[in-house]
Amino acid sequence: MTDKIQHSSSFRDPSGYVFTEGNILKRQISPLYFKQYKALKESGFYQKLIKAGLLIPHKEITEDNTGVVIQPEFIPFVTYPYEWSFNQYKEAALLTLKLQKFCLDHCFSLKDATAFNVTFHKGKAIFIDTLSFDFYQDNSPWRAYKQFISHFFGPLVLAHYHGAQSLKLMHSFIDGIPVKLLSSMMPGKTKLSPFLYSNIHLLSKYEDKHSEDYKGEVNHGTLSKGAQQKIIKSLYEYIKRLKLKEASEWGDYYNKTNYTNDAFLQKEKIVNAWVKETEAKTLIDVGGNDGTFVRKIDTELKQALVCDIDNNAVDINYREVKSRKEIYMTPFVQDVLNPSASIGFNNDERFSFKERLQKFSPDITLALAVIHHISLSGNVPFNKSAEFFAAFSNYLIIEFPKREDSWVQRLLNAKSEFKGHFDFYNQENFEGEFMNYFSLEKKETIANSHRIMYLLKSKNAK
Amino acid sequence: MIHFLYFDPGLGAMVVQAVIAAVAGVVLFSKNLMFKIKSLFGFSQDKNEELFDDIDVTDKDIENTENSDR
Repeated sequence: MTDKIQHSSSFRDPSGYVFTEGNILKRQISPLYFKQYKALKESGFYQKLIKAGLLIPHKEITEDNTGVVIQPEFIPFVTYPYEWSFNQYKEAALLTLKLQKFCLDHCFSLKDATAFNVTFHKGKAIFIDTLSFDFYQDNSPWRAYKQFISHFFGPLVLAHYHGAQSLKLMHSFIDGIPVKLLSSMMPGKTKLSPFLYSNIHLLSKYEDKHSEDYKGEVNHGTLSKGAQQKIIKSLYEYIKRLKLKEASEWGDYYNKTNYTNDAFLQKEKIVNAWVKETEAKTLIDVGGNDGTFVRKIDTELKQALVCDIDNNAVDINYREVKSRKEIYMTPFVQDVLNPSASIGFNNDERFSFKERLQKFSPDITLALAVIHHISLSGNVPFNKSAEFFAAFSNYLIIEFPKREDSWVQRLLNAKSEFKGHFDFYNQENFEGEFMNYFSLEKKETIANSHRIMYLLKSKNAK
Repeated sequence: MIHFLYFDPGLGAMVVQAVIAAVAGVVLFSKNLMFKIKSLFGFSQDKNEELFDDIDVTDKDIENTENSDR
């Protein structure tokens, strides 16, 4: 046996835990969960869920009296709720409700409903906690209801009223946004909607009322299965129709760029040729907007991560992924200037963007039209950005807009009297600092523009 | 039951579900009624929002071999 290391995010549920052995992720099931596991397996329920694409597939590795070990299908890169676009978040919420409805139909029930039970894999949301299923107890309310509200329903309704950025609140609340806070953040008019009033404001009131006098003696009350199904179904219908109020800021980004059509095509061609040349199979596009450039790559990629700071652009990309049924692309929201941190107990439960990216270690990184934002909006010096880009992949395709570029001018003008502090932003300094971390493979100027493309190889390359 | 060891579901959240279910029942009923009235007068539901399907897992979904081991 190789070293068995318990996964640092897996300790809350006593039914079992996730561990890595060698480099393979496995799940240990404790005898406490045997009854459920056997029922789920023998009734064919697991198989149904897997076939319907709702639950991550797994295979049983070993089984004895002390425990069962299963090995789930490998997910190359796990994204977290605070990295999802609005419609991705909706899909995850709907998946959870769909599962609960299906569970009830088969006399099971989800015992928890955290948003971290879901991630995106092969182009869609998938449930990854194989041990979240329990037997349905007749006439008992849904134990995970409050969790569903604070992890899914609340954040989505907040996003509806306050914009998709509010989904990032989940970064601060690993166990969901507290219902009292949710209730206080809702616009007053939500109290006039019976549906929102009951699911948020009334819930918060009841939670408040019962938080003091709980001695474990008060009855949980009963709820028929039909009534629970009504809750699930009404939440599903409501979330399915929920839309953002804000208009897309960047949605038509490519119509706003200072590129001529020819320059755009040339850029596409360069990216395509260089990706081919490096024989890259895995990729991350940092600032990938709606995935346009990655989609133009005609070599086969195993996995492409496309992140962007703008939730709307990611959402457009996500819709594209869905309509084209692409299984290799994972769009997600990420701000390079403030990437997701590691959170949870011991800062170990959810991993930082950097940790996950280094582990994923994409063959190539695309940084198209981002360096001027990093340098001029984020005030990040070139040596720092070079260090960042050299830390996770072997190759980097980076586009450098020169000082004369209209976008650069715009960013510089915004600095008004401090413009002089940004004199460092020029081609010579860029090349000088980046060559400390990279060697130059290729360099090409885009015709009729003030932009240069570089193919760089990291000096730490494996 | 193992889930009692796991996390606190919130007593208030358990009790209040009876009220929420009653509201949900009314909401679903009226939506359904509106739908029927609308289709009676020939207003078809907008089909644009087809990004997500219905709550029910159908037999077709389960037979869908596309999702198994690929």
